[in-house]
Amino acid sequence: MWMVRVRTGISDLDKMLGGGFMEGDAVLLAGSAGTGKTTLALQYLVNGVTQFGDAGIYVTFEQLPDQIYRDAKNFGWDLRKMEEQNKFRLICTSPELLLETDGGESILDGPIKEIRPRRLVIDSLSHLEMFVPERELRKEAYRLIMYLKTKGLSSLLLWESPQIIGNSFSVTEVGISFLADGIVLLRPVEIESSMRKAIGILKLRGSDHDKQLREFEITTQGIKVEASFSEYEGLMTGSPRKKATLGEAIDQFSAAFARKEKKSCKFLYRFLQYIPCRLLYKNC
Amino acid sequence: MSEASDILNRLLSSEVKGDLLVLFHKNPGIIDTIDGVARRIGRTGNSIGNDVKDLVDLGVLERKQVGKHEAIFLDRKRDGEVQKIIGNYLNSMKKKEG
Repeated sequence: MWMVRVRTGISDLDKMLGGGFMEGDAVLLAGSAGTGKTTLALQYLVNGVTQFGDAGIYVTFEQLPDQIYRDAKNFGWDLRKMEEQNKFRLICTSPELLLETDGGESILDGPIKEIRPRRLVIDSLSHLEMFVPERELRKEAYRLIMYLKTKGLSSLLLWESPQIIGNSFSVTEVGISFLADGIVLLRPVEIESSMRKAIGILKLRGSDHDKQLREFEITTQGIKVEASFSEYEGLMTGSPRKKATLGEAIDQFSAAFARKEKKSCKFLYRFLQYIPCRLLYKNC
Repeated sequence: MSEASDILNRLLSSEVKGDLLVLFHKNPGIIDTIDGVARRIGRTGNSIGNDVKDLVDLGVLERKQVGKHEAIFLDRKRDGEVQKIIGNYLNSMKKKEG
């Protein structure tokens, strides 16, 4: 069956996603501070307006719109103009108002009727933690996600992961990742003493996707996805190392062997029996 | 006293009102509870209640019941009208002085 995709407009990210997000899905965009979540989310909405004719709503809990207008302008995105054209809305509110349960209409109902958006961003879902008890968080997040789906919105839900780097990685600790249809991860990685940024698709329900971590940069035009970190392994653990080629592995082994001398003779004999000769001829 | 000078006097009657006007003019997309609005100008809900009420009476801000919460937001249309009235008033004062 042919599935409608909602393209981010970032061509390499769309390729990673197999064409874009699935229409009507709620996708978690997780990352620690400074990884580019807000930039990517804004770019998703701005590209929606400028490239695909999709109106969009950005809901912010903490950052004031004034700052978002200014930061967007640095990338050449005039959000105020898009608002004047009824293609964009920037709503600044508190989670308790967005999650109001005592009947009546949602504060999003008005803007949704006004501009008929196809895309929506919530910055950030992790702010719900400040207003909702932990045991209620999953239920409230579910209610919010179902509201967005009912309205037919393809939403990006930002999630601040406190885990910056290291080997005990989890996207959320309260099970929100199970509710989301997809998870895009932004992560800083330290390689050869410099901080670089990686993007990966951890989950995309009902669709194949790129399994590699790719490098990305925040340029003057927004997010630019680049090549994968194919020469490195262990990026998710926070201890990346360059992958050794077979030739390098044999060199290392030889060096170790030279040190161990006679003790290693029996082991070397077994090792050489184990490695297929063809592979050795091919790579050495 | 003219309508314009009355509005102007009420708008300039407290520092909190000034902070609220600046906040809403810079961020017209704010729709929040009194506590939420207060947090955004570094104050508490109790300390801004009267000023919010005054701005609602003037029509610059609007209240809306959202479930058990009361949401406050800028009435862009009325705000535009108020700005126009004040602008005209200030221009006429300048002419008088000139």
